[in-house]
Amino acid sequence: MEVLQYAIRKLVGGIPLILGVTFISFLLMVYFGPDKTYELLGKNPTAEQIAEVRHELGYDRPFLTRYAEYLKEMATLDFGASDSTGEPVSKILARTVPISLALITPGFILGNVLGIILALIAAYHRSGYIDKFIMGFAVVGMSISFLIVVIAFQIIFSSSYGLNAFPVRGWNVHSFADYISYITVPTLATVFVALGYNTRFYRAVLVEEMTRDHVRTAKAFGTRPGKLLYKNILKNSLIPIITRIMFSIPLVVVSGSLIIESYFGIPGIGKVTYDAITTGDQPILKAVVGLTAVLFVITLLVTDILYRVVDPRVSLK
Amino acid sequence: MSAATPEAAATQTAETGTAPAHRESLWAKAIYKFTRDRMGMIGLGIVVVYFIVALGVWLGLWATEWGDVEGPKWAPMSAEYPFGTNIIGQDIFQRALYSTKTAFEVGLVVAVLSTIIGALLGALAGFFSGTWIDEIILWLKGVLDSIPFYLFVAAVAFALTGNPYAMHIAMVSTFWTTTGRLVRGEVIKLKNFEFVEAARAIGVPQLVIIYRHILPNTFHILLVQATIVFVAAIKSEVILSFLGLGVQDGVSWGLMIAESTQEVLAGFFNNFVWASVFLFGLVMAFNMFSDALQDALDPKKVAA
Repeated sequence: MEVLQYAIRKLVGGIPLILGVTFISFLLMVYFGPDKTYELLGKNPTAEQIAEVRHELGYDRPFLTRYAEYLKEMATLDFGASDSTGEPVSKILARTVPISLALITPGFILGNVLGIILALIAAYHRSGYIDKFIMGFAVVGMSISFLIVVIAFQIIFSSSYGLNAFPVRGWNVHSFADYISYITVPTLATVFVALGYNTRFYRAVLVEEMTRDHVRTAKAFGTRPGKLLYKNILKNSLIPIITRIMFSIPLVVVSGSLIIESYFGIPGIGKVTYDAITTGDQPILKAVVGLTAVLFVITLLVTDILYRVVDPRVSLK
Repeated sequence: MSAATPEAAATQTAETGTAPAHRESLWAKAIYKFTRDRMGMIGLGIVVVYFIVALGVWLGLWATEWGDVEGPKWAPMSAEYPFGTNIIGQDIFQRALYSTKTAFEVGLVVAVLSTIIGALLGALAGFFSGTWIDEIILWLKGVLDSIPFYLFVAAVAFALTGNPYAMHIAMVSTFWTTTGRLVRGEVIKLKNFEFVEAARAIGVPQLVIIYRHILPNTFHILLVQATIVFVAAIKSEVILSFLGLGVQDGVSWGLMIAESTQEVLAGFFNNFVWASVFLFGLVMAFNMFSDALQDALDPKKVAA
């Protein structure tokens, strides 16, 4: 009951954030975005035709009216149909979001789990050679641009100059084997880049916990290294770890996959949104922006509840 | 520096005996510590070399023929074309050198502006923490952090169509938030110190207290943040150029890599490899420099 009350309060408190995100995005993407009038008209349009198309697209109404209409659309979850293809936005989302999730989830999980494992190893051997080796690897991972990794991995794994073992681009998934072959190279690239940042962050968190007195006491009592790392160190540093993982979820879902999707030609949500920005497809933009903002507020809420789960001392007030 | 900073005091107690006794200030200690950090000094050295290259390009000393279409298509590496030529016969060596200037331009503009904005707004929010000013700045930070970065940049680029600084503006308006948050936290801590109370007691105006007395004491945070933002800006430029939203005139490593995506399919790797090597060298050196700077300036950071 307490959690439910807290959830409702938190969701209501998130309204200013949703309004802010939707307002700024609406201003940028819709109000200042590309003008589609002349794309929809034939050659030599008359003034009436122009006015008619502009009216259909809603360009002739004042900004605040359009924003208010947008909020109404969002409240009723009815975003209409895409300007470019005429397909309902809800259908587009239902088709593309699962692809993006299927593409990005394995890399996201692996990147974080491997990051924590490497960080535990590095923190345990602090200042030793293993630590220096892992951290050197992390700095290299941080310093290579994601784009370079994607291109290099494609050459190595998918082209005739390398192993030529995986599909170069596209998304033609009918079975689990197809799925694995299409996501392998993107996942390897994602993990490679994510590992650099994640390992460094998690190591810093774990090292801080390791210097606490209770760890020294546990060591003095002869706790085995495995138990010490898991129970005394990892469990006690869960709060910053959860914060990092949770806050990266909304960004990963929407824009994290954009580069991979556009480079590997995978029709996911990132690619669709990017195309919508460049062509001015307003219904899609409105839906994506609004849902991202809502996703953010929900993430904040879930994060707070997770804090409570891992640390009962945290009070939900 | 006007008042004894709390950091200096903290460093002193933490490190009594490790540094010579006459080095009293935070900065003298930091410089002493930094010059002893081998990786940091190597990083700084490499960054300086890159900077000299960029300065030379800016002065027109070298890489003046980066745009000339004279050589044969896809020439191999030779004495005339040290790194070969690209698909239309441009000298990759000169283009890679010229891009150093572009990288420093993007990095410096974004790092300096976003650090200034982060410092000003963070200091305001921190000094007036708990009031409506703080609420508004926090809300703005929350909003900007919630918009997916690449989509935000794409939107800004299209809203400012044709403006060569659209990319810079988009980066500055999102990159200041981390600096702002750190400065806010530090200012909340600093505003209860005696030197602030003393300034207030003798009637120094509030804005002067914030910007003359408190903000200079957060300079070590600003310096480290600026180096982090510099690296982030250069790396973002590569991805934005690939998406067609980046550098509009001139050439950059990002544009070279974007061009090379066509060439690698045909088996010509020079453009891709050399742009990547230059980019990696600078980012890696800057990361090493930035790490050493953090170690030297942040007394609380647990030593490696």
